Amino acid sequence: MKISDVIIIGGGLAGLMAASVAANRRQKVTVLTYGSGSLPLASGAIDFLNTESPEAAIKNLPAHHPYKKIGVKNIDTAAKFFCHITSQANLIYNGKISAQIPIVTAVGTLKYSSLVPESMNATKLKSKKKIFVANVKGLKDFYASMLVDNLKKYFPDKTFEIAPLDLNLMGGRDITCLSAAQILTGNEKILADGLKKLNATEDDAIIIPPILGLEGNISRAEVKSQIRADIIETTCLPPSPPGIRLQRALMKYLQKSGVRFHENSKVIHGTAEGKKITGVIIGSGIREKFFPAKKIILATGGFYSGGLTMREFDNPKEPIFDLPVFFPTGAENWSNENLFGDKPQGFSMTGIFTNDNLNPVDENGKVLYENLHVIGANLGGVDFIHEHSAGGVAISSAHKAAMI
Amino acid sequence: MSDATKAIFTGDRCLSCTACMANCPVMAAIKEYRGPKLVGPAHGRMHFSQEDVEESLNYCSNCKSCDRACPAGVAVSTLNMLQRAEYYKKHKQLRHENMLAHGERMAKLIRKMPFGAKFANVGMNVGKFLGVFNALGLAGKRNMPAYASTSFKNLFPKIRQAPSNKKVVLFTGCYTNDNEPQVGEAFVKVMNANGCEVLIDEGFKCCGSPLVVTGFLDEARQNADNNVAKILNWKRKGIPVVTPCTSCSLMLKEEYYELFGEQEMREAAENVYDAFEFLEILQERGEFNENLKSLNQKLLYHVPCHLKSQAIGLPAANILEEIGGVKVQTADAGCCGISGNYGFHKDKYEISMKVGEKLFARVKKKDFDKVISDCGTCRMQIHHGTDIKPCHPIEILAEAYQ
Repeated sequence: MKISDVIIIGGGLAGLMAASVAANRRQKVTVLTYGSGSLPLASGAIDFLNTESPEAAIKNLPAHHPYKKIGVKNIDTAAKFFCHITSQANLIYNGKISAQIPIVTAVGTLKYSSLVPESMNATKLKSKKKIFVANVKGLKDFYASMLVDNLKKYFPDKTFEIAPLDLNLMGGRDITCLSAAQILTGNEKILADGLKKLNATEDDAIIIPPILGLEGNISRAEVKSQIRADIIETTCLPPSPPGIRLQRALMKYLQKSGVRFHENSKVIHGTAEGKKITGVIIGSGIREKFFPAKKIILATGGFYSGGLTMREFDNPKEPIFDLPVFFPTGAENWSNENLFGDKPQGFSMTGIFTNDNLNPVDENGKVLYENLHVIGANLGGVDFIHEHSAGGVAISSAHKAAMI
Repeated sequence: MSDATKAIFTGDRCLSCTACMANCPVMAAIKEYRGPKLVGPAHGRMHFSQEDVEESLNYCSNCKSCDRACPAGVAVSTLNMLQRAEYYKKHKQLRHENMLAHGERMAKLIRKMPFGAKFANVGMNVGKFLGVFNALGLAGKRNMPAYASTSFKNLFPKIRQAPSNKKVVLFTGCYTNDNEPQVGEAFVKVMNANGCEVLIDEGFKCCGSPLVVTGFLDEARQNADNNVAKILNWKRKGIPVVTPCTSCSLMLKEEYYELFGEQEMREAAENVYDAFEFLEILQERGEFNENLKSLNQKLLYHVPCHLKSQAIGLPAANILEEIGGVKVQTADAGCCGISGNYGFHKDKYEISMKVGEKLFARVKKKDFDKVISDCGTCRMQIHHGTDIKPCHPIEILAEAYQ
């Protein structure tokens, strides 16, 4: 087997981004994945930090924070590169790391993110007179009246109207947003016709669940060309079409670039010569298979995806390279009762510590492997969910690791 | 085997994350299928504790996209197939299901008649024309696979090979044997060029894949026991069993064990190789014959679902790129839709063609010299959907050894 310039372990947001950056450098890239990653469950919006200007806030973070190791300039470059490659798949993202854009959640609250799919950008809501909210017949997990009740709190002076919409979704399984997006792909007319009946004008907005197809902007453009009002998609429960669009956009870029992408390929360990990893072994087939590489990027994620494990309490493991894992000691620091409270969760801070090149280090800060780079949710010391930085850390650490 | 590794218990690992739904090609094509998560791990566990039929189970094509999407190692499609077998314990298979499950039996019958293959082919054309297929429940718009005038096993004794200490047993698979014996001939040529003498084991039966998907699980088990015993015989002699068919190899390597859970199935699996996986291992050992003629061909490679499930990378692409002037581009267009005998059922034909749309569009771009795919039914589907006839990658390699 020919040696890869870089092997990326993991096919989530961080892994796909790292592969895209490496492919853009015309490197020979191999991606090894086990399971399809969590993008089909994700909102598609990329948060950097939960503050008006993440760019400004990054400067005040503690030195051990991954953003400090990546550097503001690199984070900005990563965000721009991300928008560049997704736009090549006709998936337009708005935003920058120095600002935030509002999006409407499925329950009608506003949430702010730095990079937002254009279809979900709700900035214009504040300048609209009337807001229609589609109530799609037969669609699971989307309650227009609840959405309106909550959104009214943000926009008390606006007129709201619930718009019943029959998209002929009934007569089969229970319909999720994914199913609706699948059914509407190529049948956009039924949605456009339904929305036309609202006679909405440029002064109005129509809020719909994220059902505008699964391939970039194709279905949206088709509907939009026939409707004068702005159409704004919300987030939804998984499976999530905006997350799937993002996954497909990145995959398209990898495929176009000739990246070798192997599914069902669980890496079980690496081989090393001194401080250099020479390759990895996959063990999900009937016999082990060796993939040689000059460089490895570890993007297997945290506890949820098995990138980190904890079989014994107080003894977290990174199962492939057996890297040291940072972990807040003492059971009292492990979690706090208030799950979505104002303090981070200790268990969520578990992960690997690195130097500025994202090489894993031991407790003395000594580099363990010079050609191994750790990115995304594998990184430790920060509760990404609490600080709303999972997406931002994923793409910016991926970009930095792939550029080294 | 420990309970935790049995397919039926992998359902307990399901987190209901819906990754399988996002990747199921049948769900994308129709709204009647409730999808892998609900039909497999969710309903599967209920079903095995009490009798309860989930009607839409019928729509699963066993392409295994769900298994590959699952981050938790749930054997989703196998759970579906086990439930299907339960269903058919109390319901009789329809006539066309019986036919599609027993391609091997049918071919054997036909070959016992003088000029049987020829008449059968004429019969199939007439049958299609008169609408007999439709009436039987077969996809009337589709050609049934045409029988080769001589099966590979009848042709094999006439192939002259130099004797060698290095031997491999070819598991031909039904499609290579009865429909495309040229794939078997190419296999022999390639193995001979690499210093391996090819043997045939007349005792092998159909791997059982078409039986499993149509609910004939007991019969599939008989075939499995027969084949596993034979494979273990060859293993004791130190001779590997190699097959150019990726659905056969998946069955022999992984599905027997997943479905039936006998330790000897795992032991036999260790002696089974996909053809290009075997060649790539030779290459890693420095034993691959690199004396290849330049071909100057751009190849579009449709990677079969059942190859993607094997965790062996893309050995055919790697090996073919050793040929001077050959460039391999993967089609990256998902499942072809036919999934074994799925697309041959009349009521699945439209679904199978809808699933294949993306691949057909990719192939119709015609920016290549040839389309290649390791799977016989994938090749049939591509041919049917595009009028472009693909070949097995081993036929390209055989050409380069001339």
